[in-house]
Amino acid sequence: MKKSLEKLLNKPLPIDPFKPVRAVITDVEELAPDHKKFTFSFLDEEASDSWSYIPGQFVMLTVPKAGEIPISICSSPTRKGFLELTVRKVGRKTKVLHQLKPGDLVAIRGPYGNGFPVGIMENHNVLIIAGGLGMAPLRSLVWYVLDRRHRFKEVYLLYGTRSYEYVLYKEELRRLREREDIKCLFCLDRFETPEDERWADREGLLTELIPEVDLEPTETYVAVCGPPVAYKFIGKELLKNGYPESQIFVSLERKMECGIGKCGHCQIGYKFACVDGPIFPLWDTKNLPEML
Amino acid sequence: MEFHIERAKVLPKANLWDFLEGLRRVSPLIAPVRRGGRVAFSEINDISDVTIDYTRTVLPPKKFLVPYRRVRFTYSTEDLSFSSTFKARQQIIFGIHSCDLHGISILDSIYLKENPDPRYLDVRKKTVLIGISCMPDDFCFCLSTGTAFPDGANWDLFLTDIGADYFVSIGSPKGDELIIELKELFRDIEREDLELYKRSTKKKKEAFRNRKLPDLERISQLIELEYESPVWEEEARRCLSCGTCTNVCPTCFCYTSVDVPDFEGKTVKRVEFTTSCQYPYYSLVAGGHYFKPTRTARFRHRYYHKFVGYPYQIEKFGCVGCGRCSAECPAEISMVETLRRLRGEDEEELREAAEQTFTDRPF
Repeated sequence: MKKSLEKLLNKPLPIDPFKPVRAVITDVEELAPDHKKFTFSFLDEEASDSWSYIPGQFVMLTVPKAGEIPISICSSPTRKGFLELTVRKVGRKTKVLHQLKPGDLVAIRGPYGNGFPVGIMENHNVLIIAGGLGMAPLRSLVWYVLDRRHRFKEVYLLYGTRSYEYVLYKEELRRLREREDIKCLFCLDRFETPEDERWADREGLLTELIPEVDLEPTETYVAVCGPPVAYKFIGKELLKNGYPESQIFVSLERKMECGIGKCGHCQIGYKFACVDGPIFPLWDTKNLPEML
Repeated sequence: MEFHIERAKVLPKANLWDFLEGLRRVSPLIAPVRRGGRVAFSEINDISDVTIDYTRTVLPPKKFLVPYRRVRFTYSTEDLSFSSTFKARQQIIFGIHSCDLHGISILDSIYLKENPDPRYLDVRKKTVLIGISCMPDDFCFCLSTGTAFPDGANWDLFLTDIGADYFVSIGSPKGDELIIELKELFRDIEREDLELYKRSTKKKKEAFRNRKLPDLERISQLIELEYESPVWEEEARRCLSCGTCTNVCPTCFCYTSVDVPDFEGKTVKRVEFTTSCQYPYYSLVAGGHYFKPTRTARFRHRYYHKFVGYPYQIEKFGCVGCGRCSAECPAEISMVETLRRLRGEDEEELREAAEQTFTDRPF
């Protein structure tokens, strides 16, 4: 018998981490074709009060009759009393979710994952790079940083997506642009309508915006979230511009069933995306095969 | 009450059946049973069904700790209230070989170290594990993985064959209680028994002498460095992606969860069932992206997880050398052979290396 093993069995029974708490949909906003933002509030007051999270964490959302899905939180923990999730209609379960209306019940457990290292990011510059739906988890970070603005140095937000039609949180981003304390650079894949041109700073890919960022790379923490194909190119461009690997954090997506390291589906190399991630330093690509 | 301090006891072989009968009186008994030429762990109604002379069961005893299909919750779609009828029962699992005991200890770490699963803990607290010594066959390589003997695993009693008797090691208070309960069947150890016990260790080691054993020295790093080796693809070419290897594995734990509504759509069952990393849809996410798209990637993942993933997560290899994956594979893919090819040694060197692994393993 080993001490470590003996200790495992001599514990009292913990509360069931698989049991979700009930929440009601209070608002549904259509952000773009197939993209909706859902606002939830917990039915149980105790759950509502104790609910806290870190930007970059996710929840397991029970869509009644369909099943559980892992979704990144897109609201900021600095704003209490509600929880927001942005979901793209992409599979069987999200299709059912998209049919739900305000007043409908769902169940939520979490928050899970490590989240962005907001503590160690303090007193540094913050560069946030979002591609497409990657804006959702990063919106949480944007508002977290802006609500505690004095703790951070320069803040940049780079956001790229397909076209103006697919821009998420249009109104919010427009207001962000007017602020002095965050610099926004937006791009769209291709300019097709006059709206596209009015919205974006340039036509092209996110990687082309990176050299325009005027920050001291070694004094900067970078947060990246985007489609899987984009990471390689964004990572390369960041390294080329002198950002240290250990200060670039990427948010990764994998299949998940449990969120707490029990189902095995989300393995990236020897780590679990759900408990050791989903936020990984770019440095981990050296250790974790098939990470990007 | 009699005060009782005992390090170990001796159970005469003639008393074994009375011992089993006694166990069955205490709580439901699970033991290996011969069925259609194979051996399986099964609940015992008639003690005479029990077979102790076996090498490996088809499925490991983990099925009595984590059923292959289980209902996690039932919820009503009206008010989304989650309920469960789960109830752990007292049980004794008898006749577990050393490798499977280590397998259970690995599951203990997986389920209980971080985010402990209350159900597993409940079942595990109510389960008594009784091991029995064994001799290896051609598929066994527990000597390499360091699991040939029960030392360092979580168990309650362990019976070592010492000729006319069993040398009974006591591993926990639960095991001790059983000994007290059935004390008339046991006798005290004598010097001679201890000598025989020591010799039995040597006997098992010697049984490996002419067998192919993999050298697991620095295997984690080897697999990481040989990640792009053509051996993976060559071996995976025979693989059928059937998932037999992971389903018979005593340490595999991956599962999938599905919500199954009833016909009226009023109640929904959340069902969890064992899955396999060898299935293509294992890594499939909504939108159609496969993170492990090829058979080679999935085949390699199993080795990678056992020898790199587990050591990172729980500081132990995920392989206990039971040989089930190799014995049951319909394409006759052998773990030992794959690891040997990866290391690229000839057989002569391999035999030497095996002797080196007689010492303790790195974890």
